[in-house]
Amino acid sequence: MLRAPMFRALVLAQLPSRAGILFTTSRMQSNAPAKAPEKIEVFIDDQPVMVAPGTTVLQAAAQVGVEIPRFCYHERLAVAGNCRMCLVEVEKSPKPVAACAMPVMKGWRIKTNSDMTRKAREGVMEFLLSNHPLDCPICDQGGECDLQDQAMAFGSDRSRFTDINHAGKRAVEDKDIGPLVKTIMTRCIHCTRCIRFASEVAGVDDLGTTGRGNEMQVGMYVEKLFLTELSGNVIDLCPVGALTNKPYSFVARPWEIRKVDSIDVLDALGSNIVVSTRTGEVLRILPRENEDINEEWLSDKSRFACDGLKRQRLITPMLRKPDGEFEAVEWESALITAAQAIRNAPKDKIAAVAGSLVDAEQLVAVKDLLNRLGSELLCTEQKFPTADGTSGTDLRSNYLLNSSIASCEDADLVLLVGTNPRYEAPLLNTRLRKGYVHKEQDIAYIGPEVDLSYRYEYLGNRSLTIEDIAKGKHPFAQRLKQAKRPLIIVGANALARNDGKAYIAALQSFARQLKPEDKNWKVWNVLQTNASQVAALDVGYKPGVEEVLAAQPKVLFLLGADGNAVNKENIPKDCFVIYQGHHGDQGAQLAHAILPGAAYTEKQGTYVNTEGRAQQTLVAVSPPGMAREDWKIIRALSEVVGTVLPYDTLDELRNRMEDIAPHLVRYGHLEENNFYAQAEQLIKTQASSFQGDVDVNQKSLEDFFMTDSITRASPTMAKCVAAVKKAQATG
Amino acid sequence: MAAREPAKRIIQQVRPILSVDREEARQRVINLYKAWHRTAPFIVEKFDIPKSVPQVRQKLKEEFIKNKDVSDVRVIDMLVIKGQMELKEITKIWKQKGHIMRYWQESIEYKPNDFLSKFMSGHN
Repeated sequence: MLRAPMFRALVLAQLPSRAGILFTTSRMQSNAPAKAPEKIEVFIDDQPVMVAPGTTVLQAAAQVGVEIPRFCYHERLAVAGNCRMCLVEVEKSPKPVAACAMPVMKGWRIKTNSDMTRKAREGVMEFLLSNHPLDCPICDQGGECDLQDQAMAFGSDRSRFTDINHAGKRAVEDKDIGPLVKTIMTRCIHCTRCIRFASEVAGVDDLGTTGRGNEMQVGMYVEKLFLTELSGNVIDLCPVGALTNKPYSFVARPWEIRKVDSIDVLDALGSNIVVSTRTGEVLRILPRENEDINEEWLSDKSRFACDGLKRQRLITPMLRKPDGEFEAVEWESALITAAQAIRNAPKDKIAAVAGSLVDAEQLVAVKDLLNRLGSELLCTEQKFPTADGTSGTDLRSNYLLNSSIASCEDADLVLLVGTNPRYEAPLLNTRLRKGYVHKEQDIAYIGPEVDLSYRYEYLGNRSLTIEDIAKGKHPFAQRLKQAKRPLIIVGANALARNDGKAYIAALQSFARQLKPEDKNWKVWNVLQTNASQVAALDVGYKPGVEEVLAAQPKVLFLLGADGNAVNKENIPKDCFVIYQGHHGDQGAQLAHAILPGAAYTEKQGTYVNTEGRAQQTLVAVSPPGMAREDWKIIRALSEVVGTVLPYDTLDELRNRMEDIAPHLVRYGHLEENNFYAQAEQLIKTQASSFQGDVDVNQKSLEDFFMTDSITRASPTMAKCVAAVKKAQATG
Repeated sequence: MAAREPAKRIIQQVRPILSVDREEARQRVINLYKAWHRTAPFIVEKFDIPKSVPQVRQKLKEEFIKNKDVSDVRVIDMLVIKGQMELKEITKIWKQKGHIMRYWQESIEYKPNDFLSKFMSGHN
């Protein structure tokens, strides 16, 4: 359960708020009317405070540091006002008022700790507890339960509830809403946070209430699954133990676990996470608040795929025997064998392919090693169009989500091309949905018909449409030209196609022609799908494996390259393949030598997200078995090869990274992009034509869960795919 | 100025521990070395260590050579005194077999220092 921190409400209350809009962010100021309305004075426990009109009592109290207890109120959801826990006394008012829903009036004297307030709270708490089971000792929420904490802080010390007829407490049947969320509905206190989250943020209006009074139940109306890519967030929202983490159930107590702040790498957004560990095992992953990226949500893949970190792991170096079987060996022999292969190869026949989960440290170390050996054959698995195979990724603005994730909700017209943000970057999709729901954003989409959780203008899946828009012939082109803050978001997978050049040629120059109201507004955006892609392009890897394979390398490094871009068919026959990674997946099958590395929870690594923001993961657990941190493997190998890399510690390596690209070590900072005109010039190509219709890789929920080596190894993700398939089969 | 010179020399004069000059200290060291050298067969026999007499003498030489660069007479004297104490502990059998074997440090595993050996042993 995420505790609602007070400061957030504080920020909100200081900003000029618009009546009726309860969805708020720290950037609301930009949309607020120019003339700030006059502030009014109220008194919280006799402390005077000036607040904007429309501020609620709860927010005004937060401004002076008084926390009013609440269950149903949540800053990012609409106000429901049904738990009544936030009742406070207002002087000269006969009844207590619900602080979360009541706007303050001039001169109100609010008493948050008077007899009437306390009596009201104790009464509410008594009613809640009289229908709440006493199963705290076996409840997974125990220790991080709002009801427990607030019962201690604000409840009465005795209850009038006596079960004289032995009728038992109210009991409600549990629901099966999928493999991720466990329900114990008897514990539900009807705060309706989950219902509001599902309908407002996730856009799946499946949850609701049936019955009234004591008979009220929260549920799905019919027996079905809660099919959304954001379902895990209702676990965090639930103030009691009614909705809990199913894979984590009965696993640990909050006071036994160690929490490490980290970054998620399973999509390209770099959501901030907290990794909970105990005895060297990752137990669960929770979102960490970051207003610029994931707010406080987390996609199901990022949250539940952590059990994949324990399966299919490479825990010892391996060498392929002559009969084709792998043999576990010591580091020494693995490094010597790999080094021999490298030394015997011609210096320009050594190549590396970077997969989707590689950190910047490893990318830099491998590039340094290969460059020192005399090779330039370094590439990423995912393609990106380049002009004549040389430039195109030289300037960052070509391949970044330039307008930043947070700004996406401020756009007034969005064109999505060849991307399904709902499954490629679920939390970007919630931003777009937020813009759609609360800021009158219009969204158009080119690609196969998919459910984006909001209504969009469907422009078909013909590539001809893109050409028409680029030439200004399509009616939608006019709308983009008139829009104040237009946004064109192109999927990385669309650009990775063979005709990716055509997409970029048509849309980027068109984006340049648009004249947004604000000169600094960035129209051209690429939504990356791989966490490593931006860092790799930043340090100078070439996108796409074709060039590298065409050079017929004699030694090939696969750095967690499991995306099937390199496979049995296209790999040169006499090539010695070194696989370095953490999971025995597709890439490891090709290998002659396997060097086991660390997964993202086991190393301190730098990742650059799709908007170009560098962030670092921290070590939560140590790598399993003989696995080592990835850059150290390269450093050790370099010594065995005889071309020693000049860094022994992470700090030294990061100094080297700073020399190459200073933004890589400015953690949390969003580097400004520029040179748009020049970037476009670089990528401009001769005539290139579209081939076939626009397509996206992930069309429905079942395509969402398993996309990389970690998620493919996760039993929970496998259960999700099975559950979705079953639900779709039965209708 | 001139009057101060003798005074300064007097202040710099320190009280000797045993020897008054380097030559005397050297003689003491040689005497100690000889005493140890003669004890070597006794050590091998009495303590029943898996070392031969030449090996013990080799180790003895190493231990003395460790301090070959010491030039302060007082430090040399102090080292000689400590050497005599060690020798006495051996001849009186106050030491035991393990204490003797400790000179060879066979059971001590040194932590890896360079990157590669740290990597191999998983120490980094």
